[in-house]
Amino acid sequence: MRCIKGKRKRLILEGRSREKEKKDHLWRVANLWGGTRKMVLVLALGDLHVPHRAPDLPAKFKSMLVPGKIQHIICTGNLCIKEVHDYLKTLCPDLHIARGEYDEETRYPETKTLTIGQFKLGLCHGHQVIPWGDLDSLAMLQRQLDVDILVTGHTHQFTAYKHEGGVVINPGSATGAYSSITYDVNPSFVLMDIDGLRVVVYVYELIDGEVKVDKIDFKKTTTTTAH
Amino acid sequence: MDAHQVAMKKKKVPDWLNSSLWISAPPPADDRPQRSVSDLSAAPTEPLTRPPVPVQPPSAARQEPPPEPEVEEPRDGDGGESQESGLPSAEEISRQSQLLAELSRKVVDMRELRKIASQGIPDGAGIRSTVWKLLLGFLPADRGLWSSELAKRRSQYKNFKGELLMNPSEIARRLEECTTCDSELRSDTSGMLSRSDITHGEHPLSLGNTSIWNKFFQDTEIIEQIDRDVKRTHPDMHFFCGDSSFAESNQEALKTMLIIYAKLNPGVRYVQGMNEILALLFYVFRNDPDEENAASAEADAFFCFVELLSGFRDNFCQQLDNSVVGIRSTISRLSQLLKEYDEELWRHLEITTKVNPQFYAFRWITLLLTQEFNFADSLQIWDTLLSDPDGPQETLLRVCCAMLILVRRRLLAGDFTSNLRLLQNYPPTNISHLLYVANKLRVRGSS
Repeated sequence: MRCIKGKRKRLILEGRSREKEKKDHLWRVANLWGGTRKMVLVLALGDLHVPHRAPDLPAKFKSMLVPGKIQHIICTGNLCIKEVHDYLKTLCPDLHIARGEYDEETRYPETKTLTIGQFKLGLCHGHQVIPWGDLDSLAMLQRQLDVDILVTGHTHQFTAYKHEGGVVINPGSATGAYSSITYDVNPSFVLMDIDGLRVVVYVYELIDGEVKVDKIDFKKTTTTTAH
Repeated sequence: MDAHQVAMKKKKVPDWLNSSLWISAPPPADDRPQRSVSDLSAAPTEPLTRPPVPVQPPSAARQEPPPEPEVEEPRDGDGGESQESGLPSAEEISRQSQLLAELSRKVVDMRELRKIASQGIPDGAGIRSTVWKLLLGFLPADRGLWSSELAKRRSQYKNFKGELLMNPSEIARRLEECTTCDSELRSDTSGMLSRSDITHGEHPLSLGNTSIWNKFFQDTEIIEQIDRDVKRTHPDMHFFCGDSSFAESNQEALKTMLIIYAKLNPGVRYVQGMNEILALLFYVFRNDPDEENAASAEADAFFCFVELLSGFRDNFCQQLDNSVVGIRSTISRLSQLLKEYDEELWRHLEITTKVNPQFYAFRWITLLLTQEFNFADSLQIWDTLLSDPDGPQETLLRVCCAMLILVRRRLLAGDFTSNLRLLQNYPPTNISHLLYVANKLRVRGSS
């Protein structure tokens, strides 16, 4: 499964060039609104565990996630297979993934940092941080990466935690796959609307078959970090 | 006289146009024929050696001038000198001074202005911008009201920009009244962040019809089209295309104006071709020598564009295509006009060679001839289109007829392919002559 031969390789390469066209088009579409302040939508999700623990994203999530609306995707890891990677690429060409312990692609980085607008974001799957899901330990990782917002996964539970160093967000599992800790998991993901110095975090959760959306607002006062 | 008649014969206009009735005097130095409207109403007068006509000095005039021969004496000293210079002819100079005189009145006489402007607005004094604004009704006739009117409109445009170009995040923020519950990112407190309800079910991935986010993403399609068309507008002109920030800011302005127009007019939205019409308006206003006017060219051009398009809107609305006011009926009126003026040509074009006017006239009419001639010629044509008291649409049809009549010899000799090719790539022609012929068609009726 690792080495792709012959016809399949050619199809994948063709797909890549078509993808590039679509990517350019989508990139233009998603960034057309010049204006003075650009609005940026960032999708954060992860822990899908396709196909081992879940077949696919819930249909109601898939119907909402259409290409052309989102500018960046950050994924906490554990996709696990390439098909999920390709699907996410169709939603948005700018895709960032950190490696989860079950990912088949071994070349994803352990941690990643990126700057979007005025915010620095950090990405890490979280299985490396022990105790798993411990907020203080995650805060230490955040200070180490020196980011405003740290996005991690692994626990399959949505959390948004604020400490002196910044904010930790866990988008949960987008498919509702069971975790190492619990079976009781609601599918969830997060969409961040970064507008200048403000962030509105929209939390999408599938509870009893219905999509529930909440939000969290926060802002930062200065553009430069003190460290 | 001979040179002129020879020139006329070369162009092969119908014989009735060739009569000496129309040619009243030896042509001026640059061989441009007379196009005075007044030639018809008053006795044909010479261009340069005029019988002394009592003229009210403009500075003293406070009321409407008497409606006598409108071809006034040139102002002192202006007309006589530059006869030899190649570029602006004496006639142009006189027109320019007449226009300046008119514009410096307290209350501009619109009828007078139209008569002078319909002969063409000289490029010299940079007055085209102001004259067009007057003709389109953007500026009132009373000069005292200009500053207040301009200020009002410009601030209105600024409001449009602020309201309509807001992205949904800002709108959502304004919708919710409480904005005090923003948590600070790096404050000393720590703890779980609380989730709050969203207002009105608004979230970025909403698929609802009334959702501001959904509407925002739907508008993106139109904006993409506007963006594409603006980038392709006049690629040969530095004003519009190129790497300079000037060109980019002009393109941005065009885009903004078209986006706002599309949002304010959901019935028509944006149709390809509006960019050409707007580009011409914006170019003229942006090159206004007055700095303040040039800086507010965007706002002025927007309102003039709305005004201009209000007469032509029906051409752009697809649902009206087959109705009495739509583009098809306009094209058939053109056909009727041609039949009236030149039946032989009409018969040859439509019946014999089956060149349906829709093949060529569609672009002529909807784009107001901006695509058929070069930029400078389009400006001259628009001078006439905007100033003619019959209204732009009627005048446009007459000009189109004149265009057909001027190439009648080639059309009569051609078949379907060559005629279509000729009409879709109309050859460069003497615009003054074209407008002269169009003007004559007005009074002539049937040949």
